[in-house]
Parts: sequence; structure tokens; C-alpha cells
Amino acid sequence: MPQNEHIELHRKRHGYRLDHHEKKRKKESREAHERSHKARKLIGLKAKLYHKQRHAEKIQMKKTIKMHEQRKTKQKNDDKTPEGAVPAYLLDREGQSRAKVLSNMIKQKRKEKAGKWEVPLPKVRAQGETEVLKVIRTGKRQKKAWKRMVTKVCFVGDGFTRKPPKYERFIRPMGLRFKKAHVTHPELKATFCLPILGVKKNPSSPLYTTLGVITKGTVIEVNVSELGLVTQGGKVVWGKYAQVTNNPENDGCINAVLLV
Amino acid sequence: MALYNFKKIMVVPTAKEFIDITLSKTQRKTPTVIHKHYQIHRIRHFYMRKVKFTQQNYHDRLTQILTDFPKLDDIHPFYADLMNVLYDKDHYKLALGQINIAKNLIDNVAKDYVRLMKYGDSLYRCKQLKRAALGRMCTILKRQKSSLEYLEQVRQHLSRLPTIDPNTRTLLLCGYPNVGKSSFINKVTRADVDVQPYAFTTKSLFVGHMDYRYLRWQVVDTPGILDHPLEDRNTIEMQAITALAHLRAAVLYVMDVSEQCGHTLQEQLELFNNIRPLFANKPLIIVANKCDVKKITELSEENQKIFADLSVEGIPVIETSTLTEEGVMQVKTEACDRLLAHRVDTKMKGKKVHDVLNRLHLAMPTKRDEKERPPFIPEGALTRRKAMEVDAPKRKLERDLEMELGDDYILDLQKYWDLMNDDEKQDKIPEVWEGHNIADYIDPDIMKKLQELEKEEELKERAGEYDSDDESEDEEMQEIRVLAKQIREKKQLMVVESKEKDVHGPRMPRTATKVERKTLEKEMGNLGLDMNDKDGSHYAQQARRSRSIAKKRKREASAPPTSKTRSQSASRPPRDQSVSFLLLLILSQMKGMNRQGKKGEADRHVFDLKPKHLLAGKRKSGTTDRR
Repeated sequence: MPQNEHIELHRKRHGYRLDHHEKKRKKESREAHERSHKARKLIGLKAKLYHKQRHAEKIQMKKTIKMHEQRKTKQKNDDKTPEGAVPAYLLDREGQSRAKVLSNMIKQKRKEKAGKWEVPLPKVRAQGETEVLKVIRTGKRQKKAWKRMVTKVCFVGDGFTRKPPKYERFIRPMGLRFKKAHVTHPELKATFCLPILGVKKNPSSPLYTTLGVITKGTVIEVNVSELGLVTQGGKVVWGKYAQVTNNPENDGCINAVLLV
Repeated sequence: MALYNFKKIMVVPTAKEFIDITLSKTQRKTPTVIHKHYQIHRIRHFYMRKVKFTQQNYHDRLTQILTDFPKLDDIHPFYADLMNVLYDKDHYKLALGQINIAKNLIDNVAKDYVRLMKYGDSLYRCKQLKRAALGRMCTILKRQKSSLEYLEQVRQHLSRLPTIDPNTRTLLLCGYPNVGKSSFINKVTRADVDVQPYAFTTKSLFVGHMDYRYLRWQVVDTPGILDHPLEDRNTIEMQAITALAHLRAAVLYVMDVSEQCGHTLQEQLELFNNIRPLFANKPLIIVANKCDVKKITELSEENQKIFADLSVEGIPVIETSTLTEEGVMQVKTEACDRLLAHRVDTKMKGKKVHDVLNRLHLAMPTKRDEKERPPFIPEGALTRRKAMEVDAPKRKLERDLEMELGDDYILDLQKYWDLMNDDEKQDKIPEVWEGHNIADYIDPDIMKKLQELEKEEELKERAGEYDSDDESEDEEMQEIRVLAKQIREKKQLMVVESKEKDVHGPRMPRTATKVERKTLEKEMGNLGLDMNDKDGSHYAQQARRSRSIAKKRKREASAPPTSKTRSQSASRPPRDQSVSFLLLLILSQMKGMNRQGKKGEADRHVFDLKPKHLLAGKRKSGTTDRR
């Protein structure tokens, strides 16, 4: 029975077929023709995928060719030193003085009072009530229309219990309740899956904020104890705000950017 | 316990291929047409189906991978250990574990998204959810890239491992590299192991099979082992150690007497002592190989002492040479006998034996008198046995002759014929002689038979069997006989003559000519038929019906006949004389009805209301002007 490296052993003992090298050479040279035939004759979805893949391949090929030609072509180098980098003996020895800390605190408080933050998405499309809330008909003759069901993703707290069904006006279905969000740190460029603490503000309407509806542009509070951030004064930061950047009801997950 | 077949594990695709295959399968095997205005439950179902279909495919394929690959706890410990040596048990288990995790994650993703899709209220939303679900599943699989690659390599190597049965009779060869283990297995079995002058030519286990005493034996060839502690051993040597540790076999420790392998006899003895613990409970034989270069008796005193010590301990030392084949058979028989005895012993000590022994009974016939009845052995068998033992030179074989003559050799079987005249052996024999096939007359006893036949015939003739009965008949009978013969001859002549005569000349068939109406009526009347209703008869009606056509036909008949050539276009009658338009219509209608298999004009039965080739399948590339 053929054992272990029987193919290589046979090749060693008997050599190749008489036309092996010829066939191999010709097959390789035919590849170019076959590829061009494929590129011309493919249609539909397969063609799109193939052309996309081929385009990426060609870009790489062009880069390598250029590199070989010039040897001076610079490419994106991630290890590049950042601009404004200064050698160690020119750095300021002094750290932040207390006055600076105080003035930062005052500025933060003023911003909070004004209710304006620097957020990644300053303007978001407002969601109307018909979009977010769906009318549920109840009653013996299905005529009463005072109940509403939320059609977007929402967050309810830990200790949430529904009102008695007869009296609850806003239904937040269990399938649309989310507890975790994928939060990206804008400077570290890393994404973490952090638990949500609450909905701070929904830009469309304060009603949605109280309901806990999460749409694009909503500011939520997330639990960042995972990241291990520490304040200047030595206190551990465990809650931070983040703004939602996608439409959670279309993607099935909440993607947010941390507001540093 | 699942039965594993290492050669039948399905190919493990790369991550990219896997994703491509599954996604294109989803696109082809699920419905593709959906519109905004469909009812929402239909839209939801459409997209949910896609998500579930993709999940199902991934799940199935990953489960197949997980079941195909053997679990190291389920297989024989020999194979488990071998796989650990070759592929690293931890890495292997981790890879399979990752695949399992990926499978569960994909299932969870599908479950979540199907649940979310229930709340989808528009086509766009459902479509985005399906896109997110499929994308998530594919990302999970992209992360398994390295595991899948590793498993594919394991599968390829695993399928080429030799199938060694750990429970059957096995002979195991071990020793330093280059001592002659592979040459030994090549001599004894049909295995074709590579033999080369450099060390570590054999890099893994090889198995060959041989027969002895009507039983099948396995011979396992191992890579050479060097003398260093177990921790320093590399993968190749570890395979040999694994085989030694797990297979219950007869061990043949091969030593190189001539020291051509590059290691002295002392070193070989050292190695032997080091791996001695592995030989416990196994019949052991020392094979002193390469004795054609140097015999044990030619060695120095201390080296001879080594072998003497070993034989004193009870381990048989047999000199062999795989080049001249001396001693190889001896080793084989010795090892096999010892192993058989050992196996029988262990079986006797076990508990299962008694079940069999209780059912066996050897019956010896009781002696009825004092007469000796020894077994009968014919003389020819005795002489042959003696010849075999003495190893007398056999008669010269054709093969030896062929080797000697080389290219000049011609196979000549005629020299073995047993003829009365030895000179006639090389004569050419014709096939046919005087119209007779010679093959029909070939018979070794043919002369004897001929003589016997002639004797018989003579006897018969003498007895008078062939005398004719002419005298018993009287003259009258004889005359009658002569006359009868003449009459017969004459009759035959007359028949032949009459056949040659042509009385009527060439004749038309009866149906070719037209029969006039009045001749028909006259003849029928003469025959006695009642001819009163002449106008209501069938022939009259037919005549009336076809009068118009008959008229036309008459005209055609009067036209000069055109010669019929092969090409129709030239010989067709001109248009104004052709068949009438009405007839043409009727004919074309008949043609159409015949082709469609219609019973008549009113037959409107449709055999296939929904032909599959028009209504099934997706609208792929091509025109769509037919439905």
C-alpha cells in the first residue's frame, strides 16, 4: 500500500513523465489567456467579486513594480514618528500646574451648563414619532389606539419591571433590548464591548431619552472600568459618555465612539 | 465509539474558500426575487431563510470536520501516541476546540439576528439585518484561518500513515541508522522501502506483510534510533520509540557487525541496554547483519564476547546478510515461532481460553488390534523433502537460462516433448494435409485406435454384415425398382423443363388495372351474387365521390411521364398541373396532426400544461423573450 512519501519516492526512482516539463510549462503560459478570458466573459455577481479582487491584486503589483524601479518610493509607514516630536532634552520638565487643572474644570462645568459638547456627530436626522413608535390597537373591537410599541433598539436598566400590561402605554419588546455596546476609543483606535449604564440624551426627542430609545446620534453612558482609566487625582474612572454612530436597528449591534 | 478511517477525512477548506463556497451556495439555493410591496411577513421570511440557510451550511460543514477528525481518546493508544508525536496533542486539540467554538458562535449569531428580524418593518431594514448577520458569520470564520490550515495539513499527513494493526502478529525492527533494517523488510515482504547509504533514510514507520504458516504477519520498519536520553529525542526517533512502546510484537534488534553504519559494536550494545526496558514481555532476537563483510568469528575477542554474553542470556543471535540472503529465512522462522509461542502462552493464561477449550475435543480412534498403521508417505515426497533439506542444486530453470543468454534467449517449449524419435522435436508441423485438418487427427493413441478399427471391420466383413440383401428379392421386385427409379428421374426432368417455359409472359398484378363497373357486375352476377341494388352499393358511392379527383387524375395520366432524377426540384410537375390547393390544405393539416399525435381534428388535448424547461429555474444571463 502507498505509505508516507510514496509520491516523492516514485519521482526519485522513476523520474517524471516524458512530457511532464513541457506540459507544465505550457499550462503556466496558458494561465494568462484563461485569466483574460474569465475577465471578459464573467457576468453578474461573480464578475463584480472577481473584478474587485483583481483590482486589489493589480494595485499591489503596481506598487511592487514601482518600488523595484525607483527604490525610493515611500509607502505608508505606521511606525513613523509623530509630527512635532521633540528630543528629550527639549521637553518641558514641568508638569501641569494646579491652576491649569482648575481652569479645565471650570471650562468643563460651563460646557455642561450650556448643554453643548463636542461630539463626533453634531447633526443627526430627527426621527419622527411614526418612525419610532408603532401604534398597537387594543380593545374588544380593536378600535382603541393608545398603546405604542417602540420599533428601535432601546435600553432598559437592570431593575426594570414592566407596568401591568393593561396600563402600559409604551411597549419595549425584549428582542430589541440591548445591554452592551461596541465602543471605539478615538485615540487608541481600539474597540471594546462595554456594558451600557444608561441613555443620556437622544437628540430627536426628550421622550425617547426617558424611554431609553437608542438611535443614531444618541449619547449613552458606558462602563469603562475595563479600560482602567485613572483621573489626575488618582480616582478610578468607571463611567464615560459615548455617542452612537450607526443605526442599531439595521445592524443588530450598537457601535459608539467614546467621548474623551 | 465511532470508527475512524484516516483516509476518508473530508478536505478541510481554507477560510477564504469556505466563505466563498457558503455564500455562493446561499445565493444560488435560496429564492432571489423580492419586492418592496410584498407583505411584510413574506419579506421577513425571505431574509430569515437566507440567514438560517447560511448558518445551517456552516454548521454542517464544521460538524463534519469535527466528527471526521479522530478524538485522541477514542483511538488505540498507539495511534494516539503517534499523533501526539507527529502533530502535538495540545495544538491538535486546540485547533478542533477553536472550530467548535466558531460553530457555536455562528449558531448564536443566527439565532440573534433571526430574533431581531421579527421586528423588521421594511424591506431595507430586513435586508440590512441579513447583511449584518452573514457578515458576522463570515468574520467569525475568517478568524479560524490558521486552525483550518493546520487541520488540512494534519489531514494530508494522516491519510498517508501506514495502517498498522496493533493487535495482530507483528515483527518490529529497531537499531541504529544504516544497519540494514529497511533492506531486511525489503527482502522479507513486498514493501519497497528506500535504501540509501546516508543515515535517516527511513523517516517514519513503514509496514510490510508476509505469510508464514498460513498466517498473515506484519513487519514494521522504524527509523534508526540514536543513543541519547528520551528528552533529547526528535520527532523521527520518537516514532520508533512509540512503536516499541505500544505494539506487542517480536522485536528484532539489528546490529551491524561490520561497523559500516558508523557506530562501533560497543555503542550498539550501549543502545541495546538503554532501550532494554522497552523489550520487556516481548520475544527478542538479535540480528547480526552485514555478515558477508565480516563474520562474528572474524571479530576481536571483546566483540565476540558481546555476542556470547547475549546468547548466554537466552537471546538468540543469528547472523544474516541482506545482500546474499543468508540467514534471513532463519531469522524469520525463529522470530515467528517465538512470537506465536508467546501469544499462545498469553492466551492460555487468560480467561477467554476456557470457553474455546471446553468446546474442543480431539478424538483418537481406539486400537482394535496390534497391527501397526503408520501414516503413508509416498517415496517421491520423501526424496523431495530430503532434497529440500540438503538444499541440493535444483535442475536448471528457464529463468537461469534466460539470465545466462540475456538477449539471445528464445522460449523453446518443444524441447520438452516426449516423442519416439528425439530428432523430430524441432520439426515444423503443417496445419492442413490433403484437405484434412491435422489437429483433428492428433491423438496419442491414434495408431492403436486405427488398428483396432481395422480389425473390427475385418471381423464384420467376414461375418457378412455388409452383404447386400439382393438375393432375397425376386425378379419382379427388382424390375419394379428399376422402373420406379426411371419414373422419378423423368418427373424431375419434367418439373425443371416446365419451370423454364414462359407461358404467360410478364404479368401485371391483379390490382394494377382498373376494373370496369359492368365487368364487375357481370362477374359477380355470374358467380351468383344478388346485384339488384347497384346504385346504393359502396363502389357506386365511391365512384361518385372521387369523380372530380379521378378527372384530374386522368389528365395527369395523359401527360408524358417525366423521368425521375435524384434532385426533386428539376422533375416536379409544373405548378398548374400540380395537386389542388384544397388537397394541399388537407395534407398539411394531416401532417400537423400527425406530428402532434392528434387523434383527429377535434382532439385538443394538451399533454404538458406546464413544461418544466419553460417555467423552472432562475432567470440567468440570456434573453427573456420567451416564457
